Amino acid sequence: MNDILIYGAVTSSVYAMLAVGFTLMFGVARTLNLAHGSFYALGAYGTYLMTTSFKLSLTVAAVLAVLIVTALGVAMERMLIRPLRGVGLAVPMMTLALALVVEQVLFLGFGSEYRNVPSFIAASVIVGGVDVSGQRLLTVAVNGCVLACLWVFVHRTRQGSAILALSQDREAAQYVGIPVDRVYALVMGISAALAATAGVLTAPFLTVQPGMGLMPMIKALSIVIVGGLGSVRGSIAAALLLGYAETIVAYELSTAWTELVSLVAVFMTLVLRPAGLFGIRAR
Amino acid sequence: MSKAYANLAGATGFMAVMIVLPLVVRGRYFVGVLTLGLIYGIWAASWDFMSGLTGRENFGHALFIGAGAYTAGFLNTIWMANPWWSLPAAACVAVVFSLAVGIPTLRLSGPYFSLATLAAAAIMQRLTLIFWERTGGEDGLQGIAPLLKSPLELYYLCLFSLVAVVAILLAISASPWGMILRAIGGDELACRASGHNTTLYKVAAFAIGAAPAGLGGALYAHHQLQVGPQLLSVFVSVSVITMAYVGGIGSMYGAAIGAILLTVLTELLRGAGEWRLLVYSTVLVLMLFFRPHGLVAPLWQALRGGSE
Amino acid sequence: MFKRPVQSVRSSIILLAIFLAGLMVIGSASAQTSKAIRIGVPAAIQLRVGRDTVDAVRMAIEEINANGGVMGRQLEMVVADETENPEQGISAVRKLTTDERVDVLIGGYASGVVLAEMPHVAQAETIYLGVGAASPSITAKVKSDYPSFKYFFRVSPVNSTHLAEGLVAFVSTNVAGNLKYTRVAIVGENAKWAQEIVPTLKKGITDAGLNVQMTELFDPQTSDFSPLFSKARESGAQLMLVLLSHASSDTFVKQWYDARVPVLMGGIDTKAQDADFFQRVGGKAIGEFTTAAAVRAPVTPKTIAFWDAFVKRYGRAPVYTAPGAYDATFIYAAAVQRAHGTSPDVLIPQLEKTDYVGVAGRIAFDDAHDVRAGPDYVSVRFAQWQDNGARIIVWPKALQTGNVIVPPWMRR
Repeated sequence: MNDILIYGAVTSSVYAMLAVGFTLMFGVARTLNLAHGSFYALGAYGTYLMTTSFKLSLTVAAVLAVLIVTALGVAMERMLIRPLRGVGLAVPMMTLALALVVEQVLFLGFGSEYRNVPSFIAASVIVGGVDVSGQRLLTVAVNGCVLACLWVFVHRTRQGSAILALSQDREAAQYVGIPVDRVYALVMGISAALAATAGVLTAPFLTVQPGMGLMPMIKALSIVIVGGLGSVRGSIAAALLLGYAETIVAYELSTAWTELVSLVAVFMTLVLRPAGLFGIRAR
Repeated sequence: MSKAYANLAGATGFMAVMIVLPLVVRGRYFVGVLTLGLIYGIWAASWDFMSGLTGRENFGHALFIGAGAYTAGFLNTIWMANPWWSLPAAACVAVVFSLAVGIPTLRLSGPYFSLATLAAAAIMQRLTLIFWERTGGEDGLQGIAPLLKSPLELYYLCLFSLVAVVAILLAISASPWGMILRAIGGDELACRASGHNTTLYKVAAFAIGAAPAGLGGALYAHHQLQVGPQLLSVFVSVSVITMAYVGGIGSMYGAAIGAILLTVLTELLRGAGEWRLLVYSTVLVLMLFFRPHGLVAPLWQALRGGSE
Repeated sequence: MFKRPVQSVRSSIILLAIFLAGLMVIGSASAQTSKAIRIGVPAAIQLRVGRDTVDAVRMAIEEINANGGVMGRQLEMVVADETENPEQGISAVRKLTTDERVDVLIGGYASGVVLAEMPHVAQAETIYLGVGAASPSITAKVKSDYPSFKYFFRVSPVNSTHLAEGLVAFVSTNVAGNLKYTRVAIVGENAKWAQEIVPTLKKGITDAGLNVQMTELFDPQTSDFSPLFSKARESGAQLMLVLLSHASSDTFVKQWYDARVPVLMGGIDTKAQDADFFQRVGGKAIGEFTTAAAVRAPVTPKTIAFWDAFVKRYGRAPVYTAPGAYDATFIYAAAVQRAHGTSPDVLIPQLEKTDYVGVAGRIAFDDAHDVRAGPDYVSVRFAQWQDNGARIIVWPKALQTGNVIVPPWMRR
């Protein structure tokens, strides 16, 4: 039971980090960013690169990696996405092509084999009778903090209000003088930072290989569908729901069915309540 | 020169090139590459019909492709049917799937249709893996009989199919019926306000687009002599969309030509070895950046003079 | 803001012209050096296994050519990327057979891809020497439809059924015998090859007097194995037999180590065979045992020489496809020599008579053209990662360099 509580928390927190960023991009910037998984991958590889080639300490490398990926995300939004806005499928296509470019660059640069990123906390801790690796606990803690900070940012600052305003009504926000482009860039930066952080934290105990961005991307999409496109609350709720559902299925039934859980959840959402848990009802 | 004549001249020219090409460039292998390009062309054009005209993006076209391919596979390996039966059967099965997915989801506005198609293809792929004892699992079905002995004959069959499919789709698109589909793509609410049952049109368009996809799947099965769950993957759906995109969304002929071009490009890049996919995706990025409206259709329209 | 270049019809036409020119280039038959014997290598070049196949064939070709070639003719290699996708695989073998017109194909990795390629290779009547795919279905086809599929031979690896049998033998003698274990868990990726051998494993283990406490196949996409380890622990198993090929072995092992799972672990783990695996996972593979198709040990007089030459030439240790590819090239050359020709009619009977001591062992084929496994032929070997990354061969007894150990946290 405690196993499920703790491991479910780890999984959910990672899912939340991935989904919130994705849904922000969609809800606020109306962008289907199919390169979202690439930020996750780049965060992990960035840390790997800095600890091995530049011999930086783990914490410094991690922070630097997140910052660099955030900058990359903002640059990508500015130079490659913004000019294509409004042209049908151009933006999702572009992000897709970029995701492939990133994967290939990682493959050509680091090889197809899995890479090892050392843990921040190598020790194992006993929590509630469960032997958990320190790294996983750190993941939950950091993810939780970051999401809390994000909540504070969005609900208590001016830029945060701008984001909320844009997600509610784009035209009205423009009339009021909110700089739409800059908010889009901000949202992209936040989205990239969240994904990169998740990548950095999970790299020590999950996979680090060039194609690692694909599954998180699909997961994020599934969670966002279940939670409601554009709803941050929905993403977090769905992340918890799916994270725990998967963990319970894995422990109580079989690990053969874990990946099916999100698929079934998506199916049920689309059939019963297409808008998702907290999305706007579809008419 | 009037637009209609120009279009006819263009179509004839294209046909002439495609008929002569395999005879001029010797090599069974190259004919096989082109055949694959033609099949992708059928898939891309069929996708473009529904999604290009009505603007409702279908992210799970692989569902129809895979359904058609597996139908051909089962018919041929388990029921030992003559390969020619696969073609109509595959088209029918694909249409059934389109109705199953389309009827519940096309009444809704927003991106739900797109997500549902994506989910449907993914679920189907999962099911093929779960029931591995019957579907062959990851390895799929092997030993499918070829449709025609000569690769050249198969090429011409596929070429004929592609031309027929594109011609029919273009004809529907140019008809008053097609106008309504375009109207839905423009402003669905207004269209509905004028009294049209937009859901019915969308579902019909979806089904019409699904049939050639299934047919193409069957052609694929009898060309590759094998089908597998990769045909149901999001990768195939995305490839098809990319090809339609390169061709110019909504033009159908553009999608077909885009498919042939990209298939050939992938082949040309063989020489790049490990760098193949990087070059391919970079070319795509550049193309999207400089020609966000696509390559083929806009080019043809510019050459022909005057806009659509 | 970037300035978009002016919409230019001309530039688009130039692009299309380049395309058509390219079409002409690839469409025209490629030039062939008339006297060379051409070896086509369909390999997944983006993967280690593919690269090592290519490099090993190259090494073999250079040696053979240096010794005068075959029947006075030189050997030449043509590579085609088959990836892990059947569509690309079919395209690759088609290119090699119908366009490049190679005399033989040496390569392969993913069984699904090889199975998809088979009818096309058969149609092209080209001999195929497999070096990487372990599915028994491949050679089963040779037996069930000899006239169509007689072109196929598997030089390596030993097929998965034999591997499973070898695993059972190893576990019931060395592991159960030395460590006195009786309770086993079977864990693997939910892929066809694993699903097919689980019954064999289960039966073999139970027949040997041990208990299978639990069997579970996990989704190949799984990246978090904590539930699995918890279950294995709770089942009371002392040994966890793993079946891993495409799933993330690196992650699996790291998590097993980090969670200090008190269950010995090993089995058929393709990636854990890599010489740098131990290092790659930061030493966390300690105690894991897996198949050892490519080891630096005196399996035959040629093994160590090959290993060292490969490392010297390419700066890295070979993975399991390399010895197979190397041996396959020599086997082919020898058969051509005996047959005085490269056409399949004369060559296939000669290949069937192969009895060659290569790098991997003594290679001969059974009536399904599958490499014979066993102590007199190619033995199923298991090696264990021990302290400081040492790779100790723990099976078969004849080649054993040490005893099976348990991971540090299990030592009293």
